[in-house]
Amino acid sequence: MRKMILGSLVVLTFGALLSAGCAKKNVVKTEEPISAAQSAPAPAPAPATPQQARPEAPAAQQPITETTPSREQPVAQETAKDAGKGAAQEVQLELQKVYFNFDSSDLSEEARGSLSKNAEYLNRQAGTKVRIEGNCDERGSDDYNMALGERRAKSAKDYLVNLGIASDRLSTISYGEEKPADPSHDESAWAKNRRDEFVIVK
Amino acid sequence: MRIIMLLALLLLAPQMTQAAEGYIDVTAPVSRKLKLFPAPATGLAGQVPPEVSKELSELFGMDLGLAGPFEVSGDGAGADLILKSSYSAQGGNITLECRLVDRVLNREITAKRYSGSSKELRRMGHAFSDEVLRAVTGGKGPFTGKIAYVTKVSGNKEIFVMDYDGHNPQRLTNNGSINLKPDFAPSGKEIIYTSYKKGNPDLYRRELFTGLEARISSRSGLNAMGAYSPDGSKIAMVMSKDGNSEIYLISRDGKELARLTNNHAIDVSPAWSPDGSRIVFVSDRLGKPQVFIMNADGGNVHRLTTNGAYNVTPRWSPKGDRIVYARQGGGGFQIYAINPDGTQDTQLTSAGSNEHPRFSPDGRFIVFSSTRDGAEAIYLMRADGSGQTRVSPNKSQNSHPTWSVNW
Repeated sequence: MRKMILGSLVVLTFGALLSAGCAKKNVVKTEEPISAAQSAPAPAPAPATPQQARPEAPAAQQPITETTPSREQPVAQETAKDAGKGAAQEVQLELQKVYFNFDSSDLSEEARGSLSKNAEYLNRQAGTKVRIEGNCDERGSDDYNMALGERRAKSAKDYLVNLGIASDRLSTISYGEEKPADPSHDESAWAKNRRDEFVIVK
Repeated sequence: MRIIMLLALLLLAPQMTQAAEGYIDVTAPVSRKLKLFPAPATGLAGQVPPEVSKELSELFGMDLGLAGPFEVSGDGAGADLILKSSYSAQGGNITLECRLVDRVLNREITAKRYSGSSKELRRMGHAFSDEVLRAVTGGKGPFTGKIAYVTKVSGNKEIFVMDYDGHNPQRLTNNGSINLKPDFAPSGKEIIYTSYKKGNPDLYRRELFTGLEARISSRSGLNAMGAYSPDGSKIAMVMSKDGNSEIYLISRDGKELARLTNNHAIDVSPAWSPDGSRIVFVSDRLGKPQVFIMNADGGNVHRLTTNGAYNVTPRWSPKGDRIVYARQGGGGFQIYAINPDGTQDTQLTSAGSNEHPRFSPDGRFIVFSSTRDGAEAIYLMRADGSGQTRVSPNKSQNSHPTWSVNW
């Protein structure tokens, strides 16, 4: 950058010396090439193509380029009917949530207790399928939390499978930090948000 | 005399262009900024509506003030450069002529005429700002690019695009679900993003002008954080179909080309070097999330960040010389930039929590999200951290900005 500024100052100085050396008559300041420019063919509007500067006829002393900006098309908006239908959701009170420490997918003793109760419920409800939803608090990176939520869901799934629940009854999904249970920004909200939820999907 | 002067300029101009190679290094100290005066617009025929004149002055003032090489001044006295504009309107159409004049030499550096709908006034102005930077530094400005971003809408997240300065926000998605992490194709004409609209976090590719869309990856688990390769032919992304989050390459149509990581750790947030030969990403394979670099075939993995306990969301500069990322600490995130060899690790932000940094396509700027004024909002700064400016379009929670090439 410094080099370039210096370079342009050199240009300025060099030019200034030249113009100083050869009197006013040579300093022709033209703003009249409008007529010349008007003879230039107007470029056809080109929707959705990046605009291109069009050089004027090479002989023109003060080239003014005619540029028609590409039509800026309104971007196409998704219509509401495009929205997909999520899997039917029915939160079961019998299935307990599981909570985690910050940046951890380890199951605490309390978490393992909750999972054991969830396993008992699933044993009573043969054939019921459950989606385990992993969630994070807002403090981590949302990219990283997307993967951490996945890890939390899988950690619960693995534990349930170890307790004898067929793995094809258990699916996992991560919402990262996108679905907080409590939208507040404090320790108590974060603790509620670092969780797995268990949703019956039939 | 005129011929001699033109010759002198012709001889010097290519050198300036070569020195710049379309990329201005704004991280180097500038000895002196060029004083630029955006003169009030004059009428090509008749009067210029005062609101048009005001809008243009403010637009040029913001664009060129942010640009780096200029100090925008409120009058022509002592200015090195004067930006003159003339305006006319007929029916719904307008014509705008802009000239950049070297006041010292009394010489026109560049001139452009734009014509089109009166709704395109700002676009014409930004186009000339881009041109001023090209004429002065050899590298075109980024001001006609667009910023795509994520807005929180009643608990859901939708994707919008806006002008770089926050004007003209337009909604892209409208599905009432969670839509995340837009990434522009190098052409600027399509985006990929992740949406939960069909239940699972799947990756979609959408043409911006037609709205045509394809779900290109819907494997079990995550299909997220898609990043176009610099030539637009491939996408690096995160999937968890094989057990935990790993980085893969897929084609634009979603065909799996390669798996790049393979371990029990979290591997996320891939981003390409500008030559497409390497990928920078985040992994917690050593315990906490840190930034790593690997070859684009998954080989030669090595750790980049060594300071800080939690470093995430890296993005490579278009010139290749810097990698910007966010570091957690003190209850939030701050943005840092580091050389790809691990040297010159520099903090760029300090107010509020700042995340999701990405370079503008010309490398002059970094756009990011910040909570410094309350709700998360979109900001930009020069690549050296100077000139931090809010460009968020409204008071909503806006995040994950990404800046396209010139539209």
